[in-house]
Amino acid sequence: MREMYPKNGRVILHVDMNSFYASVEMAYDQSLKGKPLAIAGNVEERRGIIVTCSYEARRVGVRTTMPLWEARKLCPELIVMKPNFERYRSASVAIFDLLRQFSDLVEPVSIDEGYVDITESYEFGSPLEIAKTIQARMLEQFDLPCSIGIAPNKFLAKTASDMKKPLGITVLRKRDIKQVLWPMNVGEMHGVGQKTAEKFNTIGIHTIGDLAKGNEIQLKALLGINGVRLKERANGIDHREVDPNSVSDFKSVGNSTTLPKDVTNVRELNEVLEKLAEKVSARLKAKQVLATGLSVTIRYKDRKTFTRSKKLNNPVDKQDEISQLAKVLFHSNWNGNAIRLLGITGTDLIHVNEAVKQLDLFSYERDAKKEPLLNAVSKLKEKYGTAIINRAGMARKKKQTPSIGTDTSFNKDFLHEVRDRKEE
Amino acid sequence: MRFIIQRDRLVQSVQDVMKAVTSRTTIPILTGIKMVVTEDGVTLTGSDSDISIESFIPKEEAGDELVEIKQTGSIVLQAKFFSEIVKKLPTDTVEIDVQNHFQTVIRSGKSEFNLNGLDAEEYPHLPQIEEQNAFKIRTDLLKVLIRQTVFAVSTSETRPVLTGVNWKVENGELICIATDSHRLALRKAKVDIENDVNYNVVIPGKSLNELSKILDDTNDLVDIVITENQVLFKAKHLLFFSRLLEGNYPDTTRLIPSESKTEITVNTKEFLQSIDRASLLAREGRNNVVKFSTIEEKVIEVSSNTPEIGKVVEELQAQAITGEELKISFSAKYVMDALKALEGQEIKISFTGAMRPFIIQPLNDDSILQLILPVRTY
Repeated sequence: MREMYPKNGRVILHVDMNSFYASVEMAYDQSLKGKPLAIAGNVEERRGIIVTCSYEARRVGVRTTMPLWEARKLCPELIVMKPNFERYRSASVAIFDLLRQFSDLVEPVSIDEGYVDITESYEFGSPLEIAKTIQARMLEQFDLPCSIGIAPNKFLAKTASDMKKPLGITVLRKRDIKQVLWPMNVGEMHGVGQKTAEKFNTIGIHTIGDLAKGNEIQLKALLGINGVRLKERANGIDHREVDPNSVSDFKSVGNSTTLPKDVTNVRELNEVLEKLAEKVSARLKAKQVLATGLSVTIRYKDRKTFTRSKKLNNPVDKQDEISQLAKVLFHSNWNGNAIRLLGITGTDLIHVNEAVKQLDLFSYERDAKKEPLLNAVSKLKEKYGTAIINRAGMARKKKQTPSIGTDTSFNKDFLHEVRDRKEE
Repeated sequence: MRFIIQRDRLVQSVQDVMKAVTSRTTIPILTGIKMVVTEDGVTLTGSDSDISIESFIPKEEAGDELVEIKQTGSIVLQAKFFSEIVKKLPTDTVEIDVQNHFQTVIRSGKSEFNLNGLDAEEYPHLPQIEEQNAFKIRTDLLKVLIRQTVFAVSTSETRPVLTGVNWKVENGELICIATDSHRLALRKAKVDIENDVNYNVVIPGKSLNELSKILDDTNDLVDIVITENQVLFKAKHLLFFSRLLEGNYPDTTRLIPSESKTEITVNTKEFLQSIDRASLLAREGRNNVVKFSTIEEKVIEVSSNTPEIGKVVEELQAQAITGEELKISFSAKYVMDALKALEGQEIKISFTGAMRPFIIQPLNDDSILQLILPVRTY
């Protein structure tokens, strides 16, 4: 089977579950099959937007991120359900377990997609056979459809899995790039958003082919190093490895909430910030990291959105510290207008083992009080290893409550569980 | 107003008063330098309303004529232009001549500038200070006092009073204290004071920095006059006024540990170099943190570990270690700042635990103390 694999280079699969939340619901309740189904956050409130929807709903124009009322207008018979995160989570765990049977190099990207490096997996068959097996077993075992891209690198694999949905398997080789990739609009390229596409248009780049032939100096001036990187991608070059541990390389932890109504009341806003701080704090502690930067996002009634950040002298993970810093940041940037959404993000995260706090002359006593305890802890660790004891707040919960995390988008914290399970 | 002056003396005085002049001021005339000519000589003034500096050039000094006064008077000239002009004039003497409507002619050799001046009457008056309770200190000692403390002031405006140095005069002794709440520098010195007067004021760190730049390293005495909201330093031909910071300086004496659990004596230079090396890798990391531990009799281990870059471990021979074993982490920058401010070949470091402030002092010298708060790890 080795002859089906390249002599140099790699074989990467990108596995993308098709309308994942909706598919999981249909697997649970067969009567939903073939019907237009949408999963939406906060069905009863105005902030309800479509998180995902079945292909039946997509056919009549319902799209992800569409407000609920708009979707209902397009499709009056639409079945709307609240997200059921426990279900998605357990399904996702099972999916990644299945993928790991084919290779150790599985990198979850989100709850419903991931990369698999199968360069060394020839014992399971040719790349195409492996993809077919994966797709068939997903359907058999979990009743869940997926699309798979097969390519020599991550970018092309991701692009390929996007080409045929649902239940597609697409092979994208470097030699296909000219015919397949280059005629496409640059905005359709993975990694190019609307804003970037507009920027490209200003320098006469409209298709991915234009970008592939773009002037590097011009691209660098336009988008910095990312411009050069995108040009490489457009030429089918992508050196990123499939890294099973990459989930831990998160750079920030943030929570935001759209308010049920526009708010100008200071007390109410402070309460919102406190609640957000509580969520951020819980997530930081669960990940065993501290934030050395903090940012606050303010979206006004007119949807204008501002994010203001601050570098911190000492890393934080406690609710009261985060909420206090967030309030200061908020109040020095709020223009007093009605607010639609607030968010707090802890940035520049560092692992708890690397974190240090510069003690303060006027408050060190508070920390020093804990010294005998910490000494005892470090003696225990020295003697029995670092796993012997931990702060209660750091205890990793096997089952996290869905309320910790963002309520609608996928929750990357959960991916840690996936990884931790593997380690155990 | 008209006079002819030695150019280098004028340049020196202009440079000194320029230390107080800022282009960012709410009072436009303060972007200028005031010049007043009397029968005795020329007085230049610069001010940003927090700091004011007055420099006097006498008509004669040690038998040399410095200024030839043709006509007394006064003028304010744009500091930015005036200072650049005098620096670049071609000959050793400069003639300054104020004509109608504050038009000022500056002549030197074959060069002639016409500068628009302003009415000196519009220039704010300097604080009036009665000079009864002055105390005296040697200029070079004053500069040392400033150097050893001012680096530790806070640069953050969250607690404005900490951006200054606390000066206390008690029982004929001056105590200078600066802290940014992460480290504290303290220096004591005897001063000449006649009456038994006590002071407790806070002088902005910036003022002391500027003062230190202007003063020469001489052993002439500086007179220091403290009032309710101003301090005046009087040196030869120089007056330096500074606003004092409002607000009470925290009482730091009770925060300085009086006893210790571990005491270490090391060579200052060796210790400084060791911390400097360990911080090479720490500097790249966020926190600039090095670890310090006693490992055996008279041996200290200094180490730093930044996982992405690498680690460094080195051993340092101490002259003496007494008391409990110790493991502590601290900011390399704070310790290096403190060590650079100290004099003396050997230092004593007194620790009272890994989460409590430690003190660095020269061996057998109580006049100076550097206190540093460690960092705690999680």
